[in-house]
Amino acid sequence: MKIRIRREYVLSLVAVLLGLIAGAILMLAIGSNPLKGYLYLFQGGLMSIKRIGNTLATATPLILTGLSVAFAFRTGLFNIGAAGQMLMGGFAATGLALTLETVLPRPLVLLCTILGGTLAGALWGLIPGLLKARFNVNEVVATIMMNWIAFWTVNDGIPAYVRDPNQETQSRGISAVASLKADWLTSLFPGSYINLGLFLAILAALLVAFLLDKTTLGYELKAVGFNRNAAEYAGIKVNRGVVLSMMIAGALAGLAGVVFYTGYATNMQIGVTPSQGFDGIAVSLLGANAPAGAVVAALFFGVLQSGKGFMNAMTDIPPDIADTIIATVIYFAATSVLMERIWSAWRRKRSAKGAAAPAAAGKEAPPPASPDAPAAPKGGA
Amino acid sequence: MTARKTLFILFAVLLTVAMLAGCTGGGAKFKVGMVTDAGTIDDKSFNQGTWEGVKAAATKLGLEYKYLKPSGTTEADYLKEIGNLYDAGFKMIVCPGFKFSSAIYAAQTQYKDAKFVLIDASPSSADGKTTKVETNTVSIFFAEHESGFVAGVATALQLQTGEVGFIGGMEIPPVQKFNWGFQQGIKYANDNLGTAITMKAENFVYQGTFSDVAAGQQLAAAMYDKGVDAIFAAAGGVGVGAINEAKARAVKGEQVWIVGVDVDQYADGIWDEAKTKSIILTSAMKGITKAASDMINLESQGKFPGGQTLTFDAKNDGVGIPATNPNLTADVSSKVAKVFADLKAGKIVVSAEQGSLFK
Repeated sequence: MKIRIRREYVLSLVAVLLGLIAGAILMLAIGSNPLKGYLYLFQGGLMSIKRIGNTLATATPLILTGLSVAFAFRTGLFNIGAAGQMLMGGFAATGLALTLETVLPRPLVLLCTILGGTLAGALWGLIPGLLKARFNVNEVVATIMMNWIAFWTVNDGIPAYVRDPNQETQSRGISAVASLKADWLTSLFPGSYINLGLFLAILAALLVAFLLDKTTLGYELKAVGFNRNAAEYAGIKVNRGVVLSMMIAGALAGLAGVVFYTGYATNMQIGVTPSQGFDGIAVSLLGANAPAGAVVAALFFGVLQSGKGFMNAMTDIPPDIADTIIATVIYFAATSVLMERIWSAWRRKRSAKGAAAPAAAGKEAPPPASPDAPAAPKGGA
Repeated sequence: MTARKTLFILFAVLLTVAMLAGCTGGGAKFKVGMVTDAGTIDDKSFNQGTWEGVKAAATKLGLEYKYLKPSGTTEADYLKEIGNLYDAGFKMIVCPGFKFSSAIYAAQTQYKDAKFVLIDASPSSADGKTTKVETNTVSIFFAEHESGFVAGVATALQLQTGEVGFIGGMEIPPVQKFNWGFQQGIKYANDNLGTAITMKAENFVYQGTFSDVAAGQQLAAAMYDKGVDAIFAAAGGVGVGAINEAKARAVKGEQVWIVGVDVDQYADGIWDEAKTKSIILTSAMKGITKAASDMINLESQGKFPGGQTLTFDAKNDGVGIPATNPNLTADVSSKVAKVFADLKAGKIVVSAEQGSLFK
């Protein structure tokens, strides 16, 4: 019996591997030992319970923004607006948390912040969705613009309503009552930033997987993604699908905002666009636009992001190398079509040659790496 | 077999020798780390100023030094990098910027055997209710209003007549104090030194970020079009945009100026091919570099001022304009030096409050 691994996942793994190889070449080029570099990189992310906790906490919002982008992708839409949806989700959650923390008991406060933030994100996805369905406005442009509206809304809203008395550029701190950090969880990973958001993220991944694969709605949305015209011909309400899909994508990113601003962070700062929004695109790409893939990819990025500081502290390798590895991985994931072609071309050649070739297999696999690897510094620079 | 064994022993001996050699330099040696604020290490401003101080002092003392760039600007991101430095043996950590306030508050008790230098803020808890400088931390502030004042006087004296404006980054105390000091400097020169510089409220603006280069360029262009001659840009990356606009106009033959901030920005304003002309009139400097290197020097002498809150102002030469300003005449420079001496002596007092000034 053959083990069923989706081809996309194999390609993602190859992309990761090629990315790591390209990173190693870069480390060699600046005169550092790549084995040591990677040792410290992974130690930094995983060597202690606290660091594992931090890695999970770093990955949490990435899982959700990855899911957001992946969900939109599956339905044929490109959601560049995860950052803005995250900001609005975080803004709503922060506002609710700071207003309700003195009034309601903890479970109710958390319920309100989670629902409120998710709804705010959904609203921020709904607008580009409506524009797309009604007026065929390109959702890429619309979501980018929504990012800026969110940025400036937060910029004015935080100082106006929930300002820190000592600091004009951030909200008051979220108290323990409203924070997603839970004592029992923090004591499992002492000193880390892990929070209940992780469970929300995993729950969201399960829900998205269920929605896409087991429901009629998911089937319809995917059909719209595969071929809009065919779906319409088959009697599927395409416009409704577009609006719903953007709303769900927005809700997921809004939830990412909730877990980031009321779980990972201690308050909300103005003037900062969360990088997790755009990183979500990478997570989704590497995770083959599938919920499980997004979770694994987010964890991988979490390790890289929380480990790179330690690598930098222990060696002379600049932190930009870790960013370059991430960029290269994405590069390879994005060009996976190319790799797939090379792969099938090679297989055709092999089957043509018959059984004579297997010995050459190991030698022929790397070529895609060598022409592409020199392109990596471009991404980093 | 024996050959391999000999090799192993040789290797082990070599390793031990290497380790001992590494230790002989011990004693007063320590490693200095820095965590950067938002922006890059070469931001021509806060990060760079601090880093230059760290580099200068550490090189002089023969210390190992390093900076880490956090992946975000939350307390968690900052604490992660502080933890990384600590785990790698960096026991003196310099953090520039008010955003580090709550991270240092947590770190100073978490890493008791490390020393922390917090620039532009005092350590306070995330909920803002408690502020405490532990004995392993020193918190440093600057009298930006005095720096802005001196730059204002210099600008007024050099221009004699004309109009000035201000572009700020975020509307936060350090930037506001630069602005208010600058306005007081212009007024002082108008009242006492016979200059006639005008200021209009509409030309005193905060862009809202420290990073939007394009917006800085647009704001500067609008002001120059309205007849402003010199703009004081205290705005990080936004200021870079303003400098770019001024350079572009200078190339076309327009006479426009920028007053730089934080560090001596003269070199950033050079626009001609011979590299002799710059649109930076002068810079309102903040002794960030001096502060960082001073603290490292003190620590190496065992005199780290832990638990204290220090203010760098005119009195201890912690703020002011650069020693040399190619765009100021000798006469202006000497007059400014006199004003600075008066400021130092306490004969002139600059207010750190808005009062009746433009926001």
